[in-house]
Amino acid sequence: MGTYIFRRLIWTALLLFFVSALTFLIFNVLPTADPAKLRAGRNQTPETVAAIREQLNLDDPFLVRFFSYLGDLLFRFDFGTSVLNDEPVRPLIFEALPNTLMLVLGAAFVWFASGVVIGTISAVRRGTIIDRVAMTTALVAISAPVYWLGLVALYLFSSDLGVLGLFPAAGTYDAADGIFTNISSLFLPWLVLAAAFAAIYARLLRSNLLEVMSEDYIRTARAKGLKERRVIFRHGLRSAITPIITVLGLDIGILMGGAILTESVFGIPGIGRLSFDAINRNDIDIVQGTTLFLALGVCLMSLLVDVLYAFLDPRVRF
Amino acid sequence: MTNSLRALALGAAAASSLFVVACGSDDSGSSSSQSSGGAPKAEAPAEGKQGGALQQLGAADVDYLDPGHTYYQGGYQVAYATHRGLYGFKPGTPEPQPDLAVAAPEIGADNKSITVKLRKGVKFAPPVNREITSKDVKYAFDRAFSVNVGGQYATAFFSSIEGAPKKLTKGVKSISGITTPDDQTLVFKLTSPEAPGVAAALVMPITMPVPEEYAKEFDAKSPSTYNKHVVASGPYMVANDAEGNLTGYKAGKSIKLVRNPNWDKATDFKPAYLDEINMKTNVADASVAAQQVLKGQGMALDTNPPAAELKLAVTQFKDQFVQVPSGGYRYFPLNTTIKPFDDLNVRKAVLAGFDREAALKARGGKFTGDIANHFLPPGFPGFEEAGGAEGAGVDFLANPRGDMAVAAKYMKAAGFKSGKYEGDEELLMIGATADPVKAQSEVAKAQLEKLGFKIKLRLVPQDAVYTEYCQVPKKKVAVCGGAGWFKDFQDPQSMLEPTFKGENITLDGGNNNLPQLDDPKIDAAMDKAATLQGEERLKAYGEIDKMIVEQAPAVPFVWDKQTNIWSKNVAGAANDYGVLLDFNFTSLK
Repeated sequence: MGTYIFRRLIWTALLLFFVSALTFLIFNVLPTADPAKLRAGRNQTPETVAAIREQLNLDDPFLVRFFSYLGDLLFRFDFGTSVLNDEPVRPLIFEALPNTLMLVLGAAFVWFASGVVIGTISAVRRGTIIDRVAMTTALVAISAPVYWLGLVALYLFSSDLGVLGLFPAAGTYDAADGIFTNISSLFLPWLVLAAAFAAIYARLLRSNLLEVMSEDYIRTARAKGLKERRVIFRHGLRSAITPIITVLGLDIGILMGGAILTESVFGIPGIGRLSFDAINRNDIDIVQGTTLFLALGVCLMSLLVDVLYAFLDPRVRF
Repeated sequence: MTNSLRALALGAAAASSLFVVACGSDDSGSSSSQSSGGAPKAEAPAEGKQGGALQQLGAADVDYLDPGHTYYQGGYQVAYATHRGLYGFKPGTPEPQPDLAVAAPEIGADNKSITVKLRKGVKFAPPVNREITSKDVKYAFDRAFSVNVGGQYATAFFSSIEGAPKKLTKGVKSISGITTPDDQTLVFKLTSPEAPGVAAALVMPITMPVPEEYAKEFDAKSPSTYNKHVVASGPYMVANDAEGNLTGYKAGKSIKLVRNPNWDKATDFKPAYLDEINMKTNVADASVAAQQVLKGQGMALDTNPPAAELKLAVTQFKDQFVQVPSGGYRYFPLNTTIKPFDDLNVRKAVLAGFDREAALKARGGKFTGDIANHFLPPGFPGFEEAGGAEGAGVDFLANPRGDMAVAAKYMKAAGFKSGKYEGDEELLMIGATADPVKAQSEVAKAQLEKLGFKIKLRLVPQDAVYTEYCQVPKKKVAVCGGAGWFKDFQDPQSMLEPTFKGENITLDGGNNNLPQLDDPKIDAAMDKAATLQGEERLKAYGEIDKMIVEQAPAVPFVWDKQTNIWSKNVAGAANDYGVLLDFNFTSLK
């Protein structure tokens, strides 16, 4: 196991190197806007732009700039500096991270728990009215755009704009005030972000469980006289849930790069908002930083999932 | 020998306004009277409730807190609340008010020197705590010419000061043409007779004092880190610690303004009613934020509300908003160096056939601005002289919905017998990927296509529209779909010269003369007007505006209005310069 994890970490490092090279190439060789020109403002002169290019070392060859960036990243954990407001990128990411973590982990718990429960019930009660209602609701949840769902939720349930006023208003959560302070402000974002994922997981689990329940070893378990509940949870669900764990890991990893739409609707200052604003402003260092962070999130979650496999599925050995 | 121009207020623009008033005329162009559609006028509240905290919801952070670096509305809003420049503004009065200065600048008889007297008893906020002198203003200018600080307009508006670098320098260098004979006197020596224009520009944040002994350590770095240690001089300050580190600024999230304990109300024309201002700068959904403001308590919005909420405010929350002219124009420049726009008659045909109402609708409709028919905007010095709301009186801009018959007349004059353009070449138009520029570009494309042009519309990120395309002549952009020009200060020179003077065309990029209009007569008229003062100056620039319109280098289509909204228990105010909510005059009810 140790060797496996070490090998995966080496691969992760290599992958991150390629991702950083690729993002650096995209944003520096093929930039949509020259950082020097953006910084020079609308009354720029070629001389001013040239002075800023020199200041930001933009005239250095690509490889020199890339390895300088990489060196800063590896040895000082320095993601660069925002060209548009002189703020170092690392603290920006680390200030946004707790907000995204709270949003994503809370929502992941909601969607995983509800997806597993609904999927299992639907599979076990296949063809019944419960199954039909559950799967139809799931289809609706998958089809509803998060942005739209978020606005509807706000206009129905938020304390300032909502008809029912059950949950705190948008823009009231910030982990900087204390991770668990005002956590009730996250209830609505959790539900909105979790809705589509829960629906997908429920459908996926239902399908997996139905397939597993027709396997020979399930028949054997039943033939041995095991209780149906034990057959379902001990033998059926344990096997059916393994692919779900893979998807869960990847989904969390991807969302670590920011649940842009949910963060936007509910005014949560997370990584998604940070990258969205940076993309809009062509703030290259922030975009590079958040992209790398997303890649790191996916790689680490993928590794975690693979390790978890060994515990969940006795057939898997590293 | 200097010629005291105290009676002429500030520089050329304000000077002429006061002069005209003194002559009993009412056409000085007071922008507060330009608010249209029954909107409340921007006037300074007679009295406000002292104390309380305001929360401003905003979608964007300020660019910089450093007054030497900021060049953006949001940055100005904070700068004018936390610093005292030489001159400031109050709601309902377009003329600049002496702030750190005690009176209007004195312009030398040869138009080559400006003297400003400073007020005594104004102190820096903690941790500096000492009295402000003329040396602090001089240092503010010196540092703005440094690449470390990155002053974005220093070389554009103040390059005529003796010894001013033509490009930003490494490190901070003293400018020989700015001298401080004593602690309350500041003298600018110019290399050319441009004092009226330079005096008018003394309202900009570059004049906000910076204590050299404190800031030089930060300014020695490149880029300067003074942005995180800014020392206030105004009624408010960004909350800081004992060392001056800005604890109240969270980049991309929030800014907390608190009272500056060293501010003395007796030295200031600003009442500064509020005790605290909390700015959220990461509100994502403008629609939700606008509704929170209108229906909530103690809040304001930092930007124009989206169209639906703007309509809601105008129709249902009539005492919760103010509209002020943005002091600029939006236009579709036609590249006069590219066929067929190198033909004056073709350009006139484009302007004649163009439905400007459709373009305005694409930006959000009548609540967002008025249809433009020339360039100097309402409320701006020179607007009336340029023809006011009637415009230059040309037939090709007579109908805001476009007139195909007039367009056909000019097309025929250009040699196209069908009355439409008959060429096959594809013309490049640049627009933005996001609305409203995307929508207005699509309208412009349709308008040009109905006249027979073949248009290739390329949509790029908003920032790239200017810097990577429209401002780069070698990219051969025929039509810029996302152009606008807004005031830097209240002077018509700054509105017309950068954008239409042939001398200002820069082929290497950074070109603001987007149509590349190069008319020697217009250039000569601009050279002459730059040396004039008072009413003569306004008349001259009014005529220049008409001359530009006659050349049809662009389709002017909207004079923007800024709408500021607030909650029911807020008494908001906005001035014509900053146009956003003026924290110095806003109070709670």
